Order: sequence, then C-alpha cells, then structure tokens
Amino acid sequence: MTFKSALEIDCGLRYMYDSLCIMSSCGRKMLLSSDMMTTKSDIEAYYGRLNDIYKHDCLKIAHKLMYLKDIHNTLSRLSDGSTLDDIELFEVKHLAILSSQIRNMLTEQNIEAITLPQLDKVVEILDPDKLNIPSFYIYDSYNEALREVRKQMKAIQAQGDDIAEDKRQELAMLLQQHADLELQVREQLSQQLLAYVAPLTDTLDNLSCLDILIAKAEQIRQMNLCIPHIEEEKYTLYNNMFHPQVKAHLAEQGKAFMPVDITYEHTPVTIIGANMGGKSVVLKSLALNQLLAQYGFGVAADHCNINPVEEIALCIGDEQSIVKGVSSFAGEILAIDAVIKKIRAGRKLLALIDEPARTTNPVEGTALVEGLLEVIDHCNGAFILTTHYNIENSDVKRYRVKGLNNGQMDYTLEETHCGDVPHEAIAIAESLGIDSQWIEYTKKNLNN
Amino acid sequence: MPFISEILQYDSLSIVGLEKNVGKTECLNYILRRLPLHNTRVAVTSIGIDGENKDQVTSTKKPEIYLREGMFLSTAESHYRERRLVSELIEITNERSSLGRIVTARVVVGGKALISGPSSGVSLRRWAAGIKRYGIDLTIIDGAISRLSSASPAISKAMILSTGAALSSNINTLVQKTKFVVEMIGLNILEDDSRDTLCDIEAGVWGIDIEGNLVDFKITSALAINTLKVDITKGMKIIYTVGALTDKLLNLIAESKNIKNVTLVVKDFTKIFVSETAYRTFCSRGGNIRVLQKSKLIAVCVNPTAPNGYVLDSDTLCRKLREAIKLPVYDIVKNEYDI
Repeated sequence: MTFKSALEIDCGLRYMYDSLCIMSSCGRKMLLSSDMMTTKSDIEAYYGRLNDIYKHDCLKIAHKLMYLKDIHNTLSRLSDGSTLDDIELFEVKHLAILSSQIRNMLTEQNIEAITLPQLDKVVEILDPDKLNIPSFYIYDSYNEALREVRKQMKAIQAQGDDIAEDKRQELAMLLQQHADLELQVREQLSQQLLAYVAPLTDTLDNLSCLDILIAKAEQIRQMNLCIPHIEEEKYTLYNNMFHPQVKAHLAEQGKAFMPVDITYEHTPVTIIGANMGGKSVVLKSLALNQLLAQYGFGVAADHCNINPVEEIALCIGDEQSIVKGVSSFAGEILAIDAVIKKIRAGRKLLALIDEPARTTNPVEGTALVEGLLEVIDHCNGAFILTTHYNIENSDVKRYRVKGLNNGQMDYTLEETHCGDVPHEAIAIAESLGIDSQWIEYTKKNLNN
Repeated sequence: MPFISEILQYDSLSIVGLEKNVGKTECLNYILRRLPLHNTRVAVTSIGIDGENKDQVTSTKKPEIYLREGMFLSTAESHYRERRLVSELIEITNERSSLGRIVTARVVVGGKALISGPSSGVSLRRWAAGIKRYGIDLTIIDGAISRLSSASPAISKAMILSTGAALSSNINTLVQKTKFVVEMIGLNILEDDSRDTLCDIEAGVWGIDIEGNLVDFKITSALAINTLKVDITKGMKIIYTVGALTDKLLNLIAESKNIKNVTLVVKDFTKIFVSETAYRTFCSRGGNIRVLQKSKLIAVCVNPTAPNGYVLDSDTLCRKLREAIKLPVYDIVKNEYDI
C-alpha cells in the first residue's frame, strides 16, 4: 500500500502529512509513492537513519533543500542520449553543486543516514572556468570558435541600432554560426554527462529521502513523538498513547488530551465503556500509530513496541453507500466479512472495528458480535473491537474505559475480566443538558 | 528626452498600453536602449505573454525586445530557448506561466528575446521581491495590453502610459479617453487618520463614520451593492471599496444627499472601472474619489499609426494631448529624441 492510498484511511494520517514540513516537491512525491514497510529489518533500518537525523540539528540542510528541484525528466532525457538544452544543463549543474554543499554539511556533522555520491566531475564539466556558482551558459572556454563568434557579434552590437544592411546580414550569419557552435558544445557536454546519470539519479533520490527524514525528525520534536521498538513476535504495547490531531484540537479549546496505555497480542480484544469515553479515538489512534510506524514516522506515545502487519483495516461504521445502494448495516457487515476472509487466508492484519452491529437490535447484535469473536478467536495480527453489548465470550482480552468519575470523564483504559458494560448512558446524556422531561421518563421506564 | 533620468529615480517601472498596437514595446525598447547600465542593474519582465514577433490578434509586426549586455531578464522557459542573445542562466524560479517555468538570466551578448513573465499580479510581486537579491536597481515590467494591473503601485512605483491611434482614430476622442485615464492615475492619496486601517483590509466594502469608527457593510464587493437596502453614506465620512469600483456604486453615491460629506476611496487607480460619464456626474454633484496608493506617471507615449494603416498627425496629437493632461507627451518612433 502506498502512502498516498493510506491517506484515505480516516484515522488522522492526513493531519500528520499536512503538518510535515517537506521542502521539495520531489520529497513529497517520494513520500506519497512510498510503500508501507512490513518487515522488522526494513523498519528498524529506517528508524536507525531517522534517529541519526533526529540527533543532529539539520535546519541549515533543510534550508538548502528548499532549492532542490525535481529533475527526473531531465535525467531520463540524458540517459536516452538526448542533447540537453541550456536550462537542463543548468538543472544538472545546480543539482551537483547543491549536492556537494549538502554533502559537506553532512560530513561536518558526521551524519551517516544519507550518503551522497561524489559529483565533483559533473561540476567540473559544467563549470569550466571554476567559478563555483550555480549559474550556467555555454562558456567561451568550451570552444575557441565560439569565443571568436561572440567577439564579432559584440563588435557589431556595439555600433548601436542603425547598423548598415551588410552588417545586419553579417550579424544574422553570426547568430546562426553561434547557434550551431552552441549545439555542438551541448552535444559534447551531454555525451560527457551520460556516464553520471546513475549517480545523479541517486543524488536526487537521496536528497528527497533526506528531506523526508528531516521533516519527520522535526515532527517528532514538535509533537513529542517517539521512535518505536519493532517486535515481530511479541505483543504490541503503548505507554501514554495519544492522537496528535485530537490533542491539538483539544489544546485549542484549552483542554488536555488524556493518554492511554494498551497492550494486545493475537487474542481478540474488546473495548467497552461509556458513550463519549473515547473508544473510537482509541481505535483511530491504534490505526494511525501502526501506519506511522510502518511508514517510518515518529509514533504518538511515550514508549511503544509495535508488531508490523501486512494490512490495516479500520471499520468505523461509515461504510453506508448511497451509490452502492447498501444500508449502513449491510455496508458494515460486508466490510467485516472482508476482514474475516483476509484473516482466514492467513494475512497478517490489524483489524480495528468500531461497534459492530450497532445499527440493529441488541439481541441479534450481541449474537453477531459474539459470533464474530468466536470466528476470529485467534489471528495472525490483531483484532480489536469496541462495543456496547454484553459479550459473554471467554477467549477475549477485555478493556474498559474508566468512565465517569465525579462528573468528569476518565478516559483511562483498564483491563477487566467481566463482560458487563457500564450503564452510564443516561448520566452522560444528562450532562449534555438535554430535555429534563425526557430524562425523567427514561429513568421511570428503566425502573419499571 | 528627459524621462530616462526621471525613471532612474525609481526602483520599479511599468509600461502599460491603453490598447494593442499603441507602441508600448517600442517605448520599452526606447528606454532599454538608453538606460545607463554602467551604474544601474536592470531587470526586465512582462506580465503575461509579450514580445511576440507578430501581434497575436491583428497579425501586424511587433518590435522585439532588445536587451543589452548586463541586463537581467525573466521569461518563460520555452521563450528562453528561442532567445537570440547569449545569456547566463541564473535561476529557475518557482513562478509558472502557461508557457512553463519562469527563468532568470543575465545577458552576456546583447540581442533580442521574447519576454513573457509571471502571469498574475501576485506572482509578479513575488518575482520583484525575489530578484532584489541580484542587486537589481530598477525592475521594468512590460504590462499586458489593456491590463493596467501591472501598473498597480503595489507592483511598480513609476509608470509610462502608451496610447495611440489604435485606441481611436479621432484625435479628440483619443485625447479625451487618454485624459480620463491620466486623471484616474493622478487621483490624490487619502489624507485621513484611517488610511492605515483601510490599507490592512483585504476584501469587501467598508465605511468610516463621522466619529472615525470602522464600519463593515458585510458585502463581498461593490458588485453586490444592490443587496444593501440602506443608504450607505448616512453618517459616513469615508466609503472604501477594496475591489473594483463600478458605475453602480458610483451612481448610488452620486444619488445620495450626503454626497458632499463623503469621500469615496479605492486601493489604487487600477481598481477603477467606471465610465467617464458616471464619473463626471459624480464629480458635478460634489463627490470626490481618493486612493490609498498612487504611482507616479512619468510620461505618455503616443503612436499615431493605427494597425489598419490610418495615421494621425503626430505633432497635433502630441500638442493636444500635452495641453489636456499637462504632462510630457512623446512620439518615440517619429522623433529620435536625444538623451
């Protein structure tokens, strides 16, 4: 799955992407097309590099990366054997000089996360006068005849506007000669540069990658994220997990986000708790953090162990589709069915399901959820659902949101062994200040 | 020819034409040929396409832009490839036009080139700010036909206006039309304590009441003025429209009893889109318009030849226009003025 398609998962990944300060368009493009990492070795190697960048102050390099241009098209034209024009040669020279500047900065700081190929030869080819500035034209020193033609052109131009007809013709001829000579030089240069297509492409890709790493490191600082431990066999664990987008939103209202701890393995997990207890936020946080880890971002927790999966399935009950003509219930059931099929096929999945069968009657709903947990009983990845139903299954791990405590919501998750759901709906409804008569009649009905 | 020395007093100049084929490019070439380059760094660009060999609409020949050694130019990459001069490419900017990225270069051996710079006022402003780092003393913007926006004081501090037989082949009409534009360019700057407050507003129609309080009329532009059922001049001393000023708003205020006590304010002359008739009526009833920013009109250049071949008498045209606008008027093609 590419990062671009992962952005479609409604868990707050887009918020993380939007707040990522990538300087170059090729960096952004590289991130969007990057595939999710699924093995411990890949992820750990990537975090090794990210950590290296994180430990250093890369602000100056980031400023340099603002000048990085995507010249993949130019490079592919070069490798096709085409003759580059002035603008393309400028792009190549610009990249080579930028890269050597950044290369020096990396060496100065002992950063090893990125290695940039040596491009001194390319600079040499495109900077015959050793001016060491990133501008470019077909310099006189490339070709003696060119120098001579330009001298003659200048001499005629110096005579002003009213030049005689024969001079005008001479100038036109010189211009033609000049164009031919320049083309000749450009052909030679393109030929010489052909040998450097691979290191130039490498440079462009490595600089894009550096841009992404610096942006991720900066995000870790700004959002207080952590670098996770990757555990392929063991359980997944989060200490003080949070959701950056919800946290920022709450901070705007002067409120604090209450982080949660959660641990799970291959046994299915149920999360029960009062309405407005943050169950859906927990599911979204789990999906988000799993994605963050597998795309090499900082993870929103104080500390965590993460078991990589092949796929993340987040069903939050909005599968209703007017276009497809299915009701909210049908949409949801079909989405869960797809998850079951994948688990059966042995795919390593992190399945997160928010209140399955919530839109039907409680009797059948409870049965459906119990049935679902029995079907799953054990999976390759992890299976977590939230529910309001009293689930009797024995072979599940249960979490409960602490819930209302002196009128204040306590979002902490605690492990529990009984399936009894809390009865706090009316208290919460009351705290929302709804119609008092409605509350009164509800309580009367409940006591009958 | 005095205006070259006057141009050098400003750091930005735009050249705008009131119509196609009024000799704007000739005027630009004239200036570019005469600027002293030994102590002035000059950068040239245009808004939108300009400098084509042929006029895209009427297929008449257009003079090319001639750039001298040492000048900087910013143009679209496709036009850069077609240049007929030797230049050193300095930067590929982040600005784009329909013809590709805008590149900046320094001329090594003079010659002709097609200039087509950033296509909007906003990107032109960014360009002007960005090019400063090359130590440019004077930026020259070749304005687009009948798009006065490049002459906005927000983009250039000084301007030269081109007019000519292409606008009208009747001398009196031509003088009249040009005079009206010159009058709009010459509108005075608002002198009121609220000027800074008004400068910060980005959209809508606003007022300043007699006590000096800012009032928002809660409409997005003067075009929606009809949705207001109240007399907006009541109790106001200033009405400010950020966007375009049209006849509708002008007439509305002209009909108000309060017209003599209220000043109508626009950002700058490029926002004025009123007919002369409406403006004259407005003024005769005692109304007055002020601007927040003003550009300096250095001179008016005329081209007495219309694209259809009709030629006006150059001397008469220059004399009549000079009398009407009280500013220097030049026919650059006819008279090879000395510096």
